[in-house]
Amino acid sequence: MHTPIALELSEDARARIAELRALSEKVEAGDKEARKELRRLVRASSPEVIGRASDIGRRAGRVLAYTAAGGDPLTEEALYAKLDAMRMEIAGENPTPLEVLLTERVVSLWMLTALLEVLVSAQYQKRLGDGAKRISPSYIVQQSRILDSATRRYLAAIRELARVRKLQATAPPVQVNTQVNILAG
Amino acid sequence: MAWETRERGGRYYTRSRRSLEDGRILREYVGTGPFAEIVAQSDRTGRELAEAERQQERARHGQELERLEALVAPVLELDHAAEVLARAELLAAGYHRHKGEWRRARGEANAHPNSA
Repeated sequence: MHTPIALELSEDARARIAELRALSEKVEAGDKEARKELRRLVRASSPEVIGRASDIGRRAGRVLAYTAAGGDPLTEEALYAKLDAMRMEIAGENPTPLEVLLTERVVSLWMLTALLEVLVSAQYQKRLGDGAKRISPSYIVQQSRILDSATRRYLAAIRELARVRKLQATAPPVQVNTQVNILAG
Repeated sequence: MAWETRERGGRYYTRSRRSLEDGRILREYVGTGPFAEIVAQSDRTGRELAEAERQQERARHGQELERLEALVAPVLELDHAAEVLARAELLAAGYHRHKGEWRRARGEANAHPNSA
């Protein structure tokens, strides 16, 4: 890693996410009071948590791009540019903070999937190319499982973004006081 | 790899290897005496080196997987957070899930997080 950067949500943000999750479960179980409480909590803490999570996603994307570049500055810069272009294209004009977060999720998972594909195919090449120093099959299987999981999450993230967009398009506008710069490094 | 004890007395060194042609296990009869001792020692050293190399390789793979998991962890955290936040925002805005599909609840048409 070229720069020591925080890639974890704070304990506070995690606690809020856990609270939102618990309340969401209550709402889905039919608790009407919980919905009111969830609205209050979404209004009070969601924008900040969205901002922090989006920031983590952006930083994680850069770390993945740096790793995928393998020390080649040109590839590294090209990947950063590619991530920025994807963000712009996917988020579109005037994205809501939630759309920015879901865009960040799609972009990070795309980068992760691309990196894992390169790593797995490199292991296969090593295994085929050098009989004397074979890579253990269990190692390749573990890597492939991580890739499989990332690919599923990536596709689910695209579906989720599309679903939220579709629903938000028919919903009244929601005012949230968060500024998220989608091109900030 | 084994030393066999013969009926006539004395030990006889044998070793097994897989045939390159058909994959069958072939037993090689090396012999007895100092020559067999040297071959046996050489085989033992070879096995120990191979085992040490395998252990190193396992340790290296373990480290690589740890590094990989460290790279994946922040993205998974973002993934989890995004999922929870999207669900919370939709529920707070008056949607509910029906058989996996999000729908707006009746009487919640104007509800959104800021109208609690």
